[in-house]
Amino acid sequence: MSLHEIIFIILSVVSIVTALGVIISKNPVNSVLSLIVLFFSITCHYVMLNAQFLAIVNFIVYMGAIMVLFLFVIMLLNLNSELEPQKRNWLKYAGAVSGGALLLVITGILRSASMASLDMNTASDIGLIKNLGNVLFKQYVVPFEISSILFLSAMIGAVVLGKKD
Amino acid sequence: MNALISSALFGVFLMFVGLFVKNKQSIKYFAIAGAIIAFAANLLDLRLTETGSTTLYNMIEVSRFSVLFNAVAIGATLVYFILCGSSFAKVGEHVADYFALIFFILAGITLASSFSNLLILFLAIEIISIPQYILAGADKRNQKSNEAALKYFLMGSFSTGILLMGIALIYGASGTFNITEIGLGTGELHPLTLCGILMMAFALSFKVSAAPFHFWTPDVYDGSPTVFTAFMATVVKAGSFIAFARLFHNAFSTGALSQHWILIIAIITALTLLIGNITAVFQQSVKRMLAYSSIAQAGFMLFAIIALNATATQGIILYAAAYSVASIGIFAVLLKLEDYTLDGFNGLAKSEPLLAFVTTVFLLSLAGIPLTAGFFAKYFVLAAAVQQGGLLWLVILAVLCAAISVYYYFRVIMAMYFKPGTPQVAAVSTGFKAGLIFAVIIVVVLGVYPNILLNWL
Repeated sequence: MSLHEIIFIILSVVSIVTALGVIISKNPVNSVLSLIVLFFSITCHYVMLNAQFLAIVNFIVYMGAIMVLFLFVIMLLNLNSELEPQKRNWLKYAGAVSGGALLLVITGILRSASMASLDMNTASDIGLIKNLGNVLFKQYVVPFEISSILFLSAMIGAVVLGKKD
Repeated sequence: MNALISSALFGVFLMFVGLFVKNKQSIKYFAIAGAIIAFAANLLDLRLTETGSTTLYNMIEVSRFSVLFNAVAIGATLVYFILCGSSFAKVGEHVADYFALIFFILAGITLASSFSNLLILFLAIEIISIPQYILAGADKRNQKSNEAALKYFLMGSFSTGILLMGIALIYGASGTFNITEIGLGTGELHPLTLCGILMMAFALSFKVSAAPFHFWTPDVYDGSPTVFTAFMATVVKAGSFIAFARLFHNAFSTGALSQHWILIIAIITALTLLIGNITAVFQQSVKRMLAYSSIAQAGFMLFAIIALNATATQGIILYAAAYSVASIGIFAVLLKLEDYTLDGFNGLAKSEPLLAFVTTVFLLSLAGIPLTAGFFAKYFVLAAAVQQGGLLWLVILAVLCAAISVYYYFRVIMAMYFKPGTPQVAAVSTGFKAGLIFAVIIVVVLGVYPNILLNWL
């Protein structure tokens, strides 16, 4: 087993354990903390794939900005068990059954699916900023520009909903 | 392409209008002018379609169909601005921003009618959705409006996640985002394909509020400010349908692929028709009744997705026009009333004969009575399904459901004409009446001579 594989296995185990921690832990603060660790291990996965730009963006935006904001909001909200809405039991079972069915289907599919493997010689540099920029501003320039409409409307929304009348 | 650029630019323009124009009622004239210019700019795109369709940067396909649908969407928005524009100021302070958001939604709809890449589809759906979450919560002091916005946002983001998952699986199966190159039906079926198609079908069913993904619809449409419900339930719904139809007709109909999803969409259609129509019967509030009726109408529009032929393409354009204009008209009248329950309509024919008459025409059109646009709209989508074959049970069910819908639409007409009462109606201006009569003329002309629209296709 090469060093690369060992790191991959360790990171994957961390990812799965923390992902489970996010949904299982009762305390929302613990949940967010495991989400931060999860994002960190995903960032490491990106680094291993040589997707440096994605790794940095994931690190700065998701881990740095969004998750810290999350943590603040949850601490300020002062959630406790009294405020927690009552969950009906049948709803839990229904969710477990439908989610389990989806899991079963996707596992079955992925077992039988054959994925075309990437040619690592040409694909290994695709995540570098230079190559990403080339693709983004040539092949995908239209969606890139159009997404500005989306962000503009989201910004208007923040002003419309957040500003005092 | 012109429609996209002009509607996005007018969105930005209206934000600045809000900065310089202090009189809130005059902002609507800028929006009306913007919609007229966008309409004209869109028709200029017909030049590009003289020799078939033109694809720009492999992302946006300008075809006669997309130009015609954009014209319908922008035209319906124009009618909406004329009829409901003056009610914007009642919702809140940021009138110009509401208009800007509606122009951005329009930009999303023009993308939905012309995408040729799944990335653009995703952007289109998001550009349509996000301003709606904001508009739903625009009435900040009203708790129902807040609830509507939050509910819509949470469930909408969830369904967007499912859409993304579907796109990822389709990409995994085909290795391309381009809808003309996906071509999954030829050769052996990749296992990821079906899961991807199902996820996209469910996510888009949510966006068009088809059962069993419709639970958000009554609460959101009821809780949102009525003036925005009028837009969300009409033009936006038609826009989401175009994305749905375009995706399934172009990307997922090659080879034998359609046999895998037609039955599923057919079951969704049957459920939507039954749940929408039967629940609408029991509503006392006309606003809520219209929310359920929009679910029921979505059931008819779903026929255009199951039937993969030219009649379906004509049908969905006609349906979009007929349904949007008629519903916007009813919502405009509803905005003038104080009481949204059925009793609020009692005796409207005596005090406001014109309002009662136009509401009757619009309701008849929604019910699909001949001589109104709704009749030919329903005729075309059902004829398309008959041509497709194998769906006769669904067509019969749809006709039965149309009969049920006559009952709840006629309850409003009965209340207006045969029940005594003095409804409280806000002052009605001459311009408003002229707009209503214009909308009635559209509905009747399309009902007598639908080719006036379809000849462009």
